[in-house]
Amino acid sequence: MNRIVAVENLSESVVKLEIEAPRIAQKRKAGHFVIVKLGLKGERIPLTISSADTEKGTITLIIQKVGVTSHKIAVLNIGDEVTDVVGPLGLATHIEKIGTVLCAGGGVGTAPLLPIVEAMHKAGNRVITVLAARSKDLIILEKEMRAFSDEVIIMTDDGSLGKQGLVTHGMEEVILREKVDKAITIGPAIMMKFSSMLTKKYNIPTEASLNAIMVDGTGMCGACRVTVGGSTKFVCVDGPEFNAHEVNFDELLSRLGGFKDEEYKAYQTYLEGLKKETV
Amino acid sequence: MKDLTTKYLGLNLKNPIVVGSCSLTSSLSEIKKLEKNGAAAVVLKSIFEEEILMDAESQLREAKENSFIYDKYSETLDYIDFHVKEERLNDYIQLIKQAKKEVLIPIIASINCVSSAEWTSFAKRIEEAGADALELNVSLNPTDLEIRDFEQTIKIIIQKVLAQVKIPVSVKINNSFTHMARTILDLSQTGIAGLVLFNRAYAPDIDINTFEAVQGRSFSSPESYTETMRWIALLSDKVKCSLAASSGIHSSEAIIKQILAGADAVQVVSALYEHSTEHINVLLDGIEKWMEEKGFSSLEQFKGKASSKNLSNPAVFERIQFMKHFSGIN
Amino acid sequence: MEIIAEYLKQERSQEWREELRKSMKSKDRTTKVRVHMPEEDPIKRAKSHIEVNRGLTMEIAVEEAQRCLDCPDPTCMQGCPVSINIPKFIKYVEKQDFAMAARTLKETNALPAVCGRVCPQEVQCEASCFYTLKLKKIPVAIGHLERFVADWERNSGNMYVPEVAPSNGIKVAIIGSGPSGLAVAGDLIKLGYSVTVFEALHEPGGVLKYGIPEFRLPNEIVDVEINNLKKMGVEFINNFIVGKTATIDDLKEEGFEAFFAGSGAGLPNFMNIPGENANGIMSSNEYLTRVNLMNAAHDDYDTPVFLGKKVAVIGGGNTAMDSVRTAKRLGADKAMIIYRRTLDEMPARAEEIKHAQEEGIEFLNLNSPIEYFADKNGRVNKMRLQKMELGEPDSSGRRRPVPIEGSEYELETDLVVVSVGVSPNPLIPASLPGLNVSRWGTIIVDDKEMQSSIPELFAGGDIVRGGATVILAMGDGRNAAAGIHRYLQNINKK
Repeated sequence: MNRIVAVENLSESVVKLEIEAPRIAQKRKAGHFVIVKLGLKGERIPLTISSADTEKGTITLIIQKVGVTSHKIAVLNIGDEVTDVVGPLGLATHIEKIGTVLCAGGGVGTAPLLPIVEAMHKAGNRVITVLAARSKDLIILEKEMRAFSDEVIIMTDDGSLGKQGLVTHGMEEVILREKVDKAITIGPAIMMKFSSMLTKKYNIPTEASLNAIMVDGTGMCGACRVTVGGSTKFVCVDGPEFNAHEVNFDELLSRLGGFKDEEYKAYQTYLEGLKKETV
Repeated sequence: MKDLTTKYLGLNLKNPIVVGSCSLTSSLSEIKKLEKNGAAAVVLKSIFEEEILMDAESQLREAKENSFIYDKYSETLDYIDFHVKEERLNDYIQLIKQAKKEVLIPIIASINCVSSAEWTSFAKRIEEAGADALELNVSLNPTDLEIRDFEQTIKIIIQKVLAQVKIPVSVKINNSFTHMARTILDLSQTGIAGLVLFNRAYAPDIDINTFEAVQGRSFSSPESYTETMRWIALLSDKVKCSLAASSGIHSSEAIIKQILAGADAVQVVSALYEHSTEHINVLLDGIEKWMEEKGFSSLEQFKGKASSKNLSNPAVFERIQFMKHFSGIN
Repeated sequence: MEIIAEYLKQERSQEWREELRKSMKSKDRTTKVRVHMPEEDPIKRAKSHIEVNRGLTMEIAVEEAQRCLDCPDPTCMQGCPVSINIPKFIKYVEKQDFAMAARTLKETNALPAVCGRVCPQEVQCEASCFYTLKLKKIPVAIGHLERFVADWERNSGNMYVPEVAPSNGIKVAIIGSGPSGLAVAGDLIKLGYSVTVFEALHEPGGVLKYGIPEFRLPNEIVDVEINNLKKMGVEFINNFIVGKTATIDDLKEEGFEAFFAGSGAGLPNFMNIPGENANGIMSSNEYLTRVNLMNAAHDDYDTPVFLGKKVAVIGGGNTAMDSVRTAKRLGADKAMIIYRRTLDEMPARAEEIKHAQEEGIEFLNLNSPIEYFADKNGRVNKMRLQKMELGEPDSSGRRRPVPIEGSEYELETDLVVVSVGVSPNPLIPASLPGLNVSRWGTIIVDDKEMQSSIPELFAGGDIVRGGATVILAMGDGRNAAAGIHRYLQNINKK
């Protein structure tokens, strides 16, 4: 079950895994995610499905090493099995032909953006994609994005690839240049907050795909709740995509940091453990 | 085209006709119709705390009859009143949001609560949902012997709500206070953006054949505008907030009179039930026609022209009882 | 009904039962005093996760079994949602044939060790016991005896696997592996059906695993019962969400002919008061799942959980009691129940309230939270409460809490668990457009066979009830199994 059939390192900390999950591959649509658990004592974490191959019966997940669980998954090899994979979860992205769609991906948020870019492109939209990261090494999936985008703009904080600047600079450049009918932003919460503020200024309908802490992923626990337009929503069943202009990003940021100290400590202990093993 | 614009609760209205809180303002499709027919703003149907409690009760009874649902160990049933409230509030918030999305005229929400704790929590949620203003429907139960001081109770509610929300807040009051002028003036100084005069009191009746109590007339009568007009005329120069006239606004003439008395806007309900939503057009046409006759180009030119300050015989509005002298003034 | 009465009569007239009845005078039986369940010391147990109730010893169990009068009309059975042959199993205990007692339980109950621990017997079998009804005495400790028998069998290392009929090859899908699903599975597998249980989580057991804490129901005991079902041939598939991973239509194409939805009431309710989304405020579902299913309190498990020194649990039901007692065990100095009414109106079982009180849980009754506050990191640090008084009784007979004007006050807290009920999980209803659901979102079924408006779909447990007990869910499961059996026999005849 859930055997890994391909591994590709996209950057030093980002890995692409292709996993056997035929039923999920069959059912998944852009926007869906899975919950993954590794080992008997592992935790359950949500990961967006980046792509799927229905013939091979595989799904592709892109993981950045940010904590114990993501690290453990990211260092798996071909032939290893992921103990538990369940999905597809969440509501699929609403795809329609609307005109020009501006897609903004920040860091590893580029991975969940890919299926949406692909679907928007196939629905006949003009798709302009802005990819942003701290530096060149962290820009991922550029080639795949180019295949489905009319234009790809790359922004790096240090200017090591594309233009120097933030994701919002790239987005604003497009907005000032041409009419944008819809924007989609996926990435770190802070990046989505600022890109949402930008599109609000220009009155462009915007969707944000939220990452949240989850346990079951089916609406049972409520760990992923977030305030959207004044009411509490569950990211796992009501999302993960929401009207970005209504999302309370500050609350999301705070909730994402809920276990920050515990996670940091656990990760450091884990990394030290790894070092000892290699010595 | 005449300039009918007016400022009410700090909101710029294209004309003085606000549709008051009623069933017509409880659905998006009706609100759209009202906008199409010229309404300048709508006050949504009040969300009643009391009604929520009653709904919770009926659900509990229904649950009790259902052997599947009723379980003494159920934490959900234990909190069913809470959950019903949540559901109702959510529906209300959705209505506000939808209305804000699909119509351009200001949306004024309205709440009626029993317990003061709920006033603030409802108000906060309504503000977050995007309502342009909030009308507090403070019709306290006159038979409630627990309340010693109605004015004070209302002031406390106002203070609590104002401490929680930034949107303009108006208060709709009944027409029965010990000292109406004092009450209106005092309330206008609490920091609220407007007062609505008056809430129509529920009018029970008795059926002489069955000896049962029955519901009386549910719509205002065209003559009932005079009471509102009197207080507006007397106090519009003195109050510190907007005034809206409600009750008895059935004709263009009634609207013109209220504006002359100094009202910033009027709230129409009964007339729309008796005629139809399109009646708003008739009312607006009537106002414009009259303005044409009188040579006014904007509402501002005649607003308050017959308020107590501007009247040559203000005492008319101050009298309580008929006297020969005054009854003959016409 | 007559068939059952006849069967009971036959069983009762067996020689060994007649002899047992004669072996002791009724008067000697009725003058015996009911046993007390030995309990772990409150101070000791509140620091660990060991089971509170320690179980009866063999001697005490036999003593207690002697109290049972083996009535000709066993009214106790009417109080049992899964119709256990109560006098028969108790008389086997008296006879000290515990293996046969265990078999008797398993005739109708797939999870005796679970029921013996978590059933509210005081309102079910024991409430209908002859002692309660006629003698006005304390009833026979049926629940304690059930647990004793199940534990004895498990510890004997020789678990009886009930016989199953030869396979008829008809495939039945059970959605959810909680108490109702397991009950259906247990009955249908005996009838020869090919039974597959689909579980959304990574382990089967549903609320028995993620919800009920170790100190009331160790997960190991649930696993033993599930393994027993596996031995009988039930297939369990984890990580499979019907409605997402595959739809019911997909499963029909794969040959499943009938379905049982026992997906539970998996949507926690919140109060939606200001500040409720601060860190350190969570549903009891989340709190208990992290601790019970994910073992978050153990260092070697990866899942984290918020720990608190001043823990406030909102609500007065069994889940609230489970949560607050868990918090105490995880090191809370103050573990508080915050409830809008008084102890008398609490929906929690009296035993749970008593245990909680013994363990030093504080009860802030007639209090309701109205707002939460957080520190600069977004972690809850304070709550505002409002004092309540009781008004007129509502339609449930409980007196309605009414806020006391001006009674608001603040209380320090660093962890809040909201336990004000759950709503049915909309996953199944949402994926089936033709399904009739109630105003509460529960699936509407006929009350005998648990059949929904979609003929091949049966349902039971919390998805039908909206939040009830384990045993009612199991009763639903048994009724549904009978319904499914009849339904499948009918369509396969045609």
